[in-house]
Amino acid sequence: MRIGSRICVLFLLAAALGASSEAKQLAVIVDKTNNVGGMSTTDLAKVFKFDNHKWPDGRPVILVLRDPSTPEMQTAIQKLYHMQPDEFKTLLAAHQSGVIIVHSEEELLKSVESIPGAVGLVDVYSINGHVNVLKVDGKLPLEQGYYLKGN
Amino acid sequence: MRSLKLQILGTALLAFLGMQAFAHDTNTGMHISTKSPAAHAAFEKGLEKMEMLHIQDGLENFRSAVKADPQFALGHIVLMFFSQDPTEQVAEREKAMATRSFASPEEQLIVDWLSNSSQAHMVPAIQAMNEALQKHPQDKHLHWLAGWWLLVDHNQSQRAADMFERVMQLDPKFADAYNEAAYCYARMGNFDKAFTYIKRYTELVPNEPNPQDTFAEISRMAGRFEDALQHYHASLKIDPSFHESQLGLGDTYALMGDEAKARAEYAKAIDTASPVQKVSWSLQVAATYVREGDLAGADKAFNAVAQQAHEKDFANLEAEAYRSMSLYQLEGKASLDLLARAEAVLHEDHKVPQLLLNEEMATVLRTRVERALQENNKELASATFKQLQGLADNNGGDGLIEEALHGASGAVELAQGNFSEAVNQLEEDEANPISMRSLITAYQKNGQEGNAVRLSAKLAALNVPQIEQALVVPEFRKLRAALSAKTNSALDPRSKYR
Repeated sequence: MRIGSRICVLFLLAAALGASSEAKQLAVIVDKTNNVGGMSTTDLAKVFKFDNHKWPDGRPVILVLRDPSTPEMQTAIQKLYHMQPDEFKTLLAAHQSGVIIVHSEEELLKSVESIPGAVGLVDVYSINGHVNVLKVDGKLPLEQGYYLKGN
Repeated sequence: MRSLKLQILGTALLAFLGMQAFAHDTNTGMHISTKSPAAHAAFEKGLEKMEMLHIQDGLENFRSAVKADPQFALGHIVLMFFSQDPTEQVAEREKAMATRSFASPEEQLIVDWLSNSSQAHMVPAIQAMNEALQKHPQDKHLHWLAGWWLLVDHNQSQRAADMFERVMQLDPKFADAYNEAAYCYARMGNFDKAFTYIKRYTELVPNEPNPQDTFAEISRMAGRFEDALQHYHASLKIDPSFHESQLGLGDTYALMGDEAKARAEYAKAIDTASPVQKVSWSLQVAATYVREGDLAGADKAFNAVAQQAHEKDFANLEAEAYRSMSLYQLEGKASLDLLARAEAVLHEDHKVPQLLLNEEMATVLRTRVERALQENNKELASATFKQLQGLADNNGGDGLIEEALHGASGAVELAQGNFSEAVNQLEEDEANPISMRSLITAYQKNGQEGNAVRLSAKLAALNVPQIEQALVVPEFRKLRAALSAKTNSALDPRSKYR
């Protein structure tokens, strides 16, 4: 028995019993001084495709992204960019001044926290209190119908 | 985060009263601040008991801790976290919030994390949890709690395993970390690693019953029933009062098909259980009648459980008894009437946390969607689905409600012949045997034969003591065996004459 087993007493169909899928949900994070509380998926795609270079307060947008081969970026490429991986790499190469590629979740969180105007995508279970999480189409990660999720 | 003013006031007050704030007792321990040495000792004892899976003793110690110091916020929130009593959970969360300002910064983060989580505010919950982990990387208890929360509340087996492995690094003798990690890997299908951790666990605490109990449960998950029985008996030999192993014997016999023996073993477990366990485990007894096809016996048993739950005001369990009954009713009307009864129970005024009522409601509604589709009542299916969607919208982030919605949505899409969308939806509810069965059909219709074969093998090997398993898996195994006999000439008795 594990302590978790006792939860089944109350959560009758809790996933304590069988193997289950572990869907990944991406949080859109910005630095704490960014007052944008949320965006539509259309506006978010514009930011991530470099079609919108500035935040409403005039600060330049800096994308902080993981390597395109990571599962997080695979989901982002599919959901936000609607591109093939090669097209995505070409897009990044054409906008080098507006993007920072990082090698870990920790690095991503630290970069977004410390760079004014930065925005990044991270697995929701990695978020901390040093960044703001944006709503996408009015929803936060782990809310029903949240857009940025994938297996 | 509490205000600076409050922090200063709190610190000043403690200094003024000359009360001792207890720091980490060890360099890998949790910061426990309470003005009461008795509360501190009881809390530590509670953690120690929980880590050895002596749950009732652990809870009693936590209760003693908050009784000794009613302003002990960490004590209140940890009691809420582990409590099995829904009314106690609500009361303890409120007390934790009311006394939060007396707690240390680490404790406040734990209060924020668990309190937000219990109210389905997952983003601030995760932020508080990670903040606490980041600030206290050496705290083994904190990592252990986080692993537990990730595994049970969020199905994040790999992340949970990472937490438990961190605990092992901090304290290689922290036995429960091996126990929990074993479950994580078993859930991910990595039984080799699961058994490796269990073996280490049994070495660390050879005189405790739980390692044998874990060995048994994971053996059962792997389909090794005889091994499971042997380890459950070994656990009870070490401690005859370890009633979880007694329950495990019942579960194992139930899955083996020996329902009379299962009921006899369950009865022994229930005899010594807590009130909520008695009701919950009685649901498993009732399910044994379903397993042996005695539906009248099942009705009688489930009605008795509903009555018991009603008397104790365990509304979610009362509703679950009616929902379970609805699952095996042959007549559509009888099934839908039972679901209406379950829904009515959940709408009454109860002291059960709203989250639990909402989760049970989602399960009731998904069952109604599935039954309405089975009865070809598309209007009812559609209206119920909308109701479920509304519930999900108002309970953002709750994994169980979301899974219920995906299961119901997948059933609707499958019924409408939208196989690709059915696959998308059902894949999000892959732990539920009913959804697994539908997903196999959706894969087949969608041309994903490889996925259908893999999932069929997984469903056929599913050994969990759930009512859905009882209704789906034995039948599914029979169908597979029949199909296999048809297609595998070696299994065809006529082949020897050819």
